[in-house]
Amino acid sequence: MSNEIACHGCDLLVDVSDLKDGDIARCPRCSCFLTRRRNDMYDRVLAFTVSSLILLVLANSYSFLSFSASGLESVITLAQTPGTLWQYGMPAVATIVAAFIIIIPAVVLVLMLALCIPLQKRRYRPWLVPVARGIFLAQNWAMVEVFIIGVIVSLVKIMAMATVVLGISFWAYTAFAICFTLAVANLDRYQCWERIEELGASRVAA
Amino acid sequence: MSTDTAASQNLASCHLCWKVAPADLHHCPRCGSAMHLRKSDSIQRTLALLVTSCVLYIPANVYPIMYTDQLGSTEPSTIIGGVILLIKLGSVPVAAVIFLFSVMVPIGKLIAMFYLVWTVERHSRLDARQRTLMYNVTEFVGKWSMIDVFVVAILAALVHLGGLLVIRPGIAALSFAGVVIVTMIAAESFDSRLIWDVMEESDSDDATS
Repeated sequence: MSNEIACHGCDLLVDVSDLKDGDIARCPRCSCFLTRRRNDMYDRVLAFTVSSLILLVLANSYSFLSFSASGLESVITLAQTPGTLWQYGMPAVATIVAAFIIIIPAVVLVLMLALCIPLQKRRYRPWLVPVARGIFLAQNWAMVEVFIIGVIVSLVKIMAMATVVLGISFWAYTAFAICFTLAVANLDRYQCWERIEELGASRVAA
Repeated sequence: MSTDTAASQNLASCHLCWKVAPADLHHCPRCGSAMHLRKSDSIQRTLALLVTSCVLYIPANVYPIMYTDQLGSTEPSTIIGGVILLIKLGSVPVAAVIFLFSVMVPIGKLIAMFYLVWTVERHSRLDARQRTLMYNVTEFVGKWSMIDVFVVAILAALVHLGGLLVIRPGIAALSFAGVVIVTMIAAESFDSRLIWDVMEESDSDDATS
């Protein structure tokens, strides 16, 4: 098995064979991040993935925000954010928003479970390759942390007009955004694919 | 200077799983993705997408991104209009955040990407490390421009108090979401290794001359 990475920033071949637990490899030429070896990587990823899934369910079960002025009140759930755009005749924007804040993150999380449980137990499964491809293709399009900042900006914008109350779902989604970001950040692309290849090869050998 | 690049040894790196494999394979032996020495037609694709997002950026700024109906009167606001309104109302920090992510980041991204494409096209030898950093920053900040679209989505969902106060989304939200998505794809189509390939060429020129 080759232990080289061709830096995706500048194409320099970098030998990463003697990394120890916790070591980070960077390209010596363009200083792009290459990989980080962590022996407990799958434990970390699974912990954050399971937490994120639970928090995402909570975030969809309660009220997200409520807004009231002069005796009138409106309460929304998380799903109503894209839902209202749809009602206003903007299905494209509604779909984009729903995809970036709920659907893509949820799909990535489920795929991460399907990938990391077998990898953690070092068992080969026929779906490892397509699932890992799906994760690394989709993960750039999850925008949960951007959405949180968007919520904060909107709140500051309308705070002067009326009373805004943050619901349980808001806090659940904020915690979800943190866990999701950590789950994705802990899944190291190089280490993950090396393990998949290793498991595939050992199955062929057996 | 070292020339130990994958390309110099006729090796290609899979864009998805980073497997290093002989460049004459068409598919990655590990994950099955299509494999190329460099992203195919990187410069043309990036340029086409950049032009597309420039075009989309016009309606995104000309048309209102949202309408505020207050006590029977409707007030449309554009992205810039919203920033100016916020400054007038005294929320300078929020105005700064919106200005940063809705105006500076998209324009800065477009300028940075055009600049990178231009330097690659004329085989520039300007500091490649710095240009790679520029590319990485551009790629990283891309999705943060979606803030404004999310703000419109949240306000439209949250603020509908009968005849008192209603916020509705405007068509610019669609164009602006388009700008963000298309520039993200443009950044993804650009191959930063092209910045470094020039170094290899000139190194071999030096060696032969």
